[in-house]
Amino acid sequence: MPTVKLIGLKKSFDYINAADGLDLEVHDGEYLCLLGPTGAGKTTALRMISGLLTPDEGQILLDGKDCAHLEVEERKAALLSQTYALFPNLTVEDNILFGLNIRGAAAEVKERVLINMLDLVRLSGRSDAFPFELSGGMQQRTALARALASGADLLLLDEPLRALDARLRISLRVELRSLVKTLKMTAIHVTHDHDEALVMADRVAIIRNGRILQVGTPEEIWDNPATPFVANFVGQCNFFTGEVLENEPYTVLRTKDGMLLKGRPSKLPKGSEAVLGVKIGNTDVSKERSGYMSAKVERIIFEGRNLHCDLMMDNGHRLSAKVPSWKRGKVSVGDKVNVSWEETKGAVFPMPAGGLEQELKVE
Amino acid sequence: MIAVISRKRFRTGWTAFIILFFLLFVILPTVYILSYAVTDWGSIDTYVLNDPEMMEMITNAIIASFEIAGIVTLIDIVVGLPMAWMLVRKDFKGKKFLDTLIDMPLAVPTAALGFSSAIFFAQTDLNVPFALNSITSPLLLIILLHVVFSYPYMVRSLSAILVQIDQTYETAGRTLGASPLAAARTITLPLFRAGLVTGIILCFSRSLSETGGTMIALATMNNVGFATGPTLIGDWKSNLVSNPDLAAPLAFVSILLIILSLILLVVIKLILMKVHLPMGRIWPRPERIFSRGLFPKAKDGLTVFFLVILVLIPSFFIFTYVATATPTSFDWGPFLDSLVYSFLIAGIVTVIDIALGVPMAVYIAKNRTGKISEVLDVLVNVPLIVPTAALGYSLGVFWTGQNLIPTWDVLLIILAHVAFTYPLVVRNVAGAVEEVDPAFEETARTLGAKPIQGFSRVLYPVIKSSILAGAIMAFTRSLGETGATQAVVADAMTAPVYIVTLIRSSDYYVAGLACIVLIIVSYVAMLALRYVTNGRRSN
Repeated sequence: MPTVKLIGLKKSFDYINAADGLDLEVHDGEYLCLLGPTGAGKTTALRMISGLLTPDEGQILLDGKDCAHLEVEERKAALLSQTYALFPNLTVEDNILFGLNIRGAAAEVKERVLINMLDLVRLSGRSDAFPFELSGGMQQRTALARALASGADLLLLDEPLRALDARLRISLRVELRSLVKTLKMTAIHVTHDHDEALVMADRVAIIRNGRILQVGTPEEIWDNPATPFVANFVGQCNFFTGEVLENEPYTVLRTKDGMLLKGRPSKLPKGSEAVLGVKIGNTDVSKERSGYMSAKVERIIFEGRNLHCDLMMDNGHRLSAKVPSWKRGKVSVGDKVNVSWEETKGAVFPMPAGGLEQELKVE
Repeated sequence: MIAVISRKRFRTGWTAFIILFFLLFVILPTVYILSYAVTDWGSIDTYVLNDPEMMEMITNAIIASFEIAGIVTLIDIVVGLPMAWMLVRKDFKGKKFLDTLIDMPLAVPTAALGFSSAIFFAQTDLNVPFALNSITSPLLLIILLHVVFSYPYMVRSLSAILVQIDQTYETAGRTLGASPLAAARTITLPLFRAGLVTGIILCFSRSLSETGGTMIALATMNNVGFATGPTLIGDWKSNLVSNPDLAAPLAFVSILLIILSLILLVVIKLILMKVHLPMGRIWPRPERIFSRGLFPKAKDGLTVFFLVILVLIPSFFIFTYVATATPTSFDWGPFLDSLVYSFLIAGIVTVIDIALGVPMAVYIAKNRTGKISEVLDVLVNVPLIVPTAALGYSLGVFWTGQNLIPTWDVLLIILAHVAFTYPLVVRNVAGAVEEVDPAFEETARTLGAKPIQGFSRVLYPVIKSSILAGAIMAFTRSLGETGATQAVVADAMTAPVYIVTLIRSSDYYVAGLACIVLIIVSYVAMLALRYVTNGRRSN
């Protein structure tokens, strides 16, 4: 039962810093999701932990011990890659038993593990099939069984659900997590899908440009994002910038054109520049109730459960709101509506050093 | 055992050993003779540059070599392109059969091919029925001979690229109003360059390198005086013991061949990759006329006709000769001895190629981005381009000049054959390894496999057929080689060299029988290769 600790990891490829002082701690038996946009350094982090890449600087501690000298195969960290990498020349059975065969395990042990694993991933009838004969979901489960059966106690999952179709991806989320939990393994799961991370993780670590921005439970990440980037990445936000007038019991922000907007209480000094972020799902539009500002509905997209509304404020800026579908008919294109949100749903941040636009840029 | 060879230090050492072997046993001996120009310029000056007669002989031979290679390549393009087109783009009865026919000459060792073509084309006093029996110019005969064995290389390289070019481009061109000929010429042909480069380099270097077939063809027509670069090397090497003054001319010819072939490689690559085929202009009327009616049919007919007359009949004409000639009694002993000797050498060479070439291929394929592997990747091509006679002579001088290893004939021949077959294995296997997703081996490692287990259990099963294909290619090339063998050990008695000797002493009937035995042996190997590669495709 290992813990993983990364201390100041650095790795660069031709002037690109894939890891730029990466610090992260994963607890024993934890399911941690490493969430970030493409090119954030997620896979690099995973490959350094597995030993397939050597960091330029920094330390990796497995169970408290520095593992710089440990070979890939000695780390007991099984990697499950995006493409599954099921060995095409081996059957499901031989794939699953690969790790045990390498170690020359006894026949009884192999027999027992095989039956358990096939049972666990519901592939009992297909043990003689070759990978190309299996559906995507079955391949995924075979790869998982193989990793679980290898005797590893750390599971490194590199976008394990990416190649599956949407419905299967969603049903496998819960299944994958509960399997790992049953076997009491530690798992690091890399993904760029924030829904997946929120649903599956004990804790989520947000990574960007080779650095960890925030680590916390899904609730913490959702409710208390550390930076505007995090707020926007795990659920789209409307952002406003302005000057702090009050910080208790609500933060009050005055925008350039004089709007007064409210958000959660903060420690921001009065008079400083700040950013207010409201998730579009928490942004409400109404023709009757008053709001912080008025805007014209430019477009409405019907998404089934929700309506996605694109709005144009009087000052020419755009924002979006996601409202329940039953409001269909109550708002329509061209309407003047009032925009509002609960004070507690407005997250407040100090103005980022490079400006808001720079902060929100993905890549 | 597995634990020991899995240590990092051992692995680093092994990689270093593989690279060192390649540099010391393949590359260095191949180009070693270049140093002769620096150390012994004096003797080159005395025996070559100040000897107008010698100088003229060398210049003529080198010019003949390049002239032949150039014309042969041109002919190959002209007759090979329609054939490749037909094989890839058309569907007709007997296509599979035609496809097999193309590869037939590859199964015939060039020594046998030389004899077979010569008795078909050249004017001889053998009186074989159905023979053309008309060609008296040695230059023309050698050109025809070289077309026979280089033609399949051209067709194969062109069709390999043509398969990859999407036909929808042409279809789109035609829906926009282009005639079939105009569409093919202006759209598909320019996309062809990569295949053309490979084909041209293969044909050119094979023609430039050919020794045994050329020698035999020349001997069959009782030629005196005409020589190519490689045949000069072969002839002089056998006279070297009685006439040590030939060392300087030998070195000079080898140096010229090596340098010119390497320069040519670079030039061909640069020209073909940089220069655009000037084909933008369209002549709607004539092109439409040429796309219709009898013209396409005539083109296809001529293509097949050329295949039969220029390639197939010359390849197998030897059977006609042996069937109709009056049998003479002879002693099978020496030939069987030479055959065993050839087999032994080819076998050992193949084992060495596999043992040391596969790790090299894996190293090159896996470190694609590394500087070292980039350099190695270029160097691997050198022995493929350098004419084997020059390579053999250079290698012989290198190893007999050092006191590092004993200079037994067998050992030297093996080393020479390794030098030019090693790249075949490396090319083949490196290509296969590159196609394998590295995730397989990485995943195996994270599942607890040591690097050697990762190779043996995961990578090896996937690339097995490519290794086998490389092995068979190396084996047949070694079995049929004359130039390198003669250039390294003048009186070596391998099967192809023995056939050359037989023909020079006018034992044509025996030579014919020996050729047929060699053809059958190679053909069996070829069948095995097809079987193996077809198995790979269906997987």
